[in-house]
Amino acid sequence: MSTTLCGTSSLAETFRAHPNRRYIEFGGKGGLGKTTFSAATAYWLAQQGQKVLVFSVDPQASLSDIFERDIFGKGPVEITHNLFAQEIDADRHIKDYQEEIRKKILDMYGLEKVPDEIEDYIQAAAAEPAMEESAIFDAVVDIVVGRDYDYYIYDLVPLGHALYYLSMASIYDEWIEKITKLREEMQEYSQVAAIMERKKESEEDQILAELQDIRQRINVSSGILTDREKTAFFFVVTPEEMIILDTQKAAGLFAKYQVPICGYIVNRVVPPQLAQQNIPEYLRNRIAMQERYLKKIDETFGAGVLARVPEFERDITGMEMIAKVADSLFGGGA
Amino acid sequence: MPEDEKRESLLKRFGKSSKELLYGMAGHDMTRFALKTRGSMEHLFILITMGDLLGIPILPPYYSLRLLPYVVPQISTWKRRMLRERDLTDALA
Repeated sequence: MSTTLCGTSSLAETFRAHPNRRYIEFGGKGGLGKTTFSAATAYWLAQQGQKVLVFSVDPQASLSDIFERDIFGKGPVEITHNLFAQEIDADRHIKDYQEEIRKKILDMYGLEKVPDEIEDYIQAAAAEPAMEESAIFDAVVDIVVGRDYDYYIYDLVPLGHALYYLSMASIYDEWIEKITKLREEMQEYSQVAAIMERKKESEEDQILAELQDIRQRINVSSGILTDREKTAFFFVVTPEEMIILDTQKAAGLFAKYQVPICGYIVNRVVPPQLAQQNIPEYLRNRIAMQERYLKKIDETFGAGVLARVPEFERDITGMEMIAKVADSLFGGGA
Repeated sequence: MPEDEKRESLLKRFGKSSKELLYGMAGHDMTRFALKTRGSMEHLFILITMGDLLGIPILPPYYSLRLLPYVVPQISTWKRRMLRERDLTDALA
């Protein structure tokens, strides 16, 4: 699994060694702590004087919960100095987008009302299952091309979705390429007709211009996700058999999509020192099992393991706990 | 002078007519063909991007919507053409 690691031994060092990697992504199965680490990393970077935006592409985002503030659909919200968080409201994004299309149709043709048939289509298209993902994808493009922040932290959706998200970029790209070609060919025929009829210029094809714009947006977004120079991707794992196996599989798939995997962070490690105390058999067994899987993690991911974060005495919400996690992630060589 | 002008305009008119005649004999068919091909491609294009309108599921509807405003005027002729029954005389058209 040494495919594309960053060649550093701690998370803090990774950030210092690669200051150009400004797009940070955390991936892994649901519930392992992606949001926690996204928030903690954002907190740490903000403490270092960087302007950071952490944003969620998950329709069931939990940044609001961890920062203990309702930020859903409110755009980038400043949590503390230099630290901004954003949860994308896909539904509202779709509604605004539909409205924009309607308005364009009314303006272009001077209509009072969108024709029924067209209105039906607009509504049906919004109900498509892929619509929400596409809307989020599009919203993310707006965020990352903005260049308003030093660091962008993607709180990615669980693995399956993340793969879908990445493959969507390449599907879009292919689709757009095909129809752009067709459109260009059509343009040639128009030009022939215009020359034969001795018209000066055939009118510019606005659809072609739109297609090229869409394509450019998709390329920017998927380009960032797979750019080794600008992006770092971290997997979150826990010392459990199934998680290790799934992560291995996912890492293989991600590598196929050229995602620059930078390292692995182990979460939920029950402090082994507990074993020295007087603890029930149940917990003792858990710690022994964990020991086995931690060894397996080290064997599987080797130098890729950048930090071990303990299971805390309470769940991670609020700035105080986020600071604790950040300390454990980045502080004193974990 | 008026005589000259008259001759000139006659010449011009002759020139223009012969140009149109030539265009009619040689160019017009080609233009028609080019425009017709373009028209067919336009309909193919709408089919690829807006196929959902006929019940043919088409990939990413999100970006199709962005193209929708531009094809609004063609939608009804496109639908008519796509859903029309065909017969032998179509080959002659």
